[in-house]
Amino acid sequence: MKLVIDESRCKGCNLCVLVCPYGIFREGTELNSRGIVAPVLDRPERCTNCRLQALYGRMLCGVCHMICPDQAISWVEEKPFEPHKVEVEF
Amino acid sequence: MIAPDWFREDRLPHIYCTGCGNGTIINCTLAAVEEMGWKRDETVFVSGIGCSSRAPGYILTDSLHTTHGRALAFATGVKMARPDLHVVVFTGDGDLAAIGGNHFIHACRRNVDMTVICMNNHIYGMTGGQGSPTTPPGAISSTTPYGASEPAFDLAELAVAAGANYVARWTSYHVKELTKAVAAGMQTPGLSFIEARTQCPTNYGRHNKLRSVSAMIEHLRSHAILVAKRDRLVAEGKPIPEGAFTVGELVRRNRPAMGVQR
Ligand SMILES: Cc1ncc(C[n+]2csc(CCOP(=O)(O)OP(=O)(O)O)c2C)c(N)n1
Ligand code: SF4
Ligand code: SF4
Ligand code: SF4
Ligand SMILES: [Mg+2]
Repeated sequence: MKLVIDESRCKGCNLCVLVCPYGIFREGTELNSRGIVAPVLDRPERCTNCRLQALYGRMLCGVCHMICPDQAISWVEEKPFEPHKVEVEF
Repeated sequence: MIAPDWFREDRLPHIYCTGCGNGTIINCTLAAVEEMGWKRDETVFVSGIGCSSRAPGYILTDSLHTTHGRALAFATGVKMARPDLHVVVFTGDGDLAAIGGNHFIHACRRNVDMTVICMNNHIYGMTGGQGSPTTPPGAISSTTPYGASEPAFDLAELAVAAGANYVARWTSYHVKELTKAVAAGMQTPGLSFIEARTQCPTNYGRHNKLRSVSAMIEHLRSHAILVAKRDRLVAEGKPIPEGAFTVGELVRRNRPAMGVQR
């Protein structure tokens, strides 16, 4: 699964930056076409949910998705399969 | 997004300001509704007036966006006429405790079978930041420019005293706990009241040295103490930290309820 931010909804509040235990969201620096500075993703394949959602058949962690007041965070299927090298720091 | 089957996606993005916690509380409520397995045509959302009360407009069920302070009166009517429906009320601190204060205590006393979620941002957000009955002493608002001088209501304790069957309090930072509390409230017959303290960066934070959304969230997080911890402090005779508020389940009981389908 792949983590995506829907830039047509995100208002750039950076609550996701605050809550992600892996620091996957980073404060952005550039204005998008809506005049909003959306966060950028730093190696999103490290996210628990990206790695294990399909295996467990349910949402794991998901706090970013839950706290995002603008319903802008979701996971999409990767097709065709895109292999990743995943390094997880503990 | 959470609960895509329940959001009116064509209405998004919603009108809430950047970093407003109301959107988070809608997420938690809809996650709880999904957990309950309710059907859309058996669920009604009711609200009064305010930023918080716009929530049902983003949800794909029948809803009533009523008059200021009267959400609980309309919701009681819905439940009495159609006890087979699940009734969920979204309200604000002004809507519930100022103009709607009387409806609040009497709905709790009657213990009408519904779930009431109050987005308590300690201010009248929609109309430009006037003080509400939950504005903490000392806080600056447009009607308290020298700092609020009145004591504030503790909404959850008020609901306990007035007779609601389930009462809990969390914040927009505690997303998992809030979702669990809403679901527990939905399972409890009788009135369930969940106070969700939330951030209004535009009309509260800006005037109270909490300019950023993260500062507001940090304030909520650091001032929340678990009910068990409060009880321990009281038992040990230790002082409760200044400005702290309890979070967790305050009551779950079985008083006679109104509108429960037999
Ligand atoms: C009878 C009546 N009086 C006053 C108003 C103006 N009014 C609209 S919203 C509001 C306050 C809302 O505060 P709250 O319920 O805390 O909601 P918030 O916007 O903070 O979420 C007021 C006073 C009104 N719409 N109707
Ligand atoms: S689901 Fe958890 S780990 Fe994954 S991006 Fe969101 S907050 Fe980070
Ligand atoms: S929490 Fe949502 S709206 Fe806020 S910055 Fe992150 S993606 Fe954007
Ligand atoms: S004024 Fe406050 S409560 Fe209303 S949408 Fe803006 S941040 Fe939210
Ligand atoms: Mg308010």
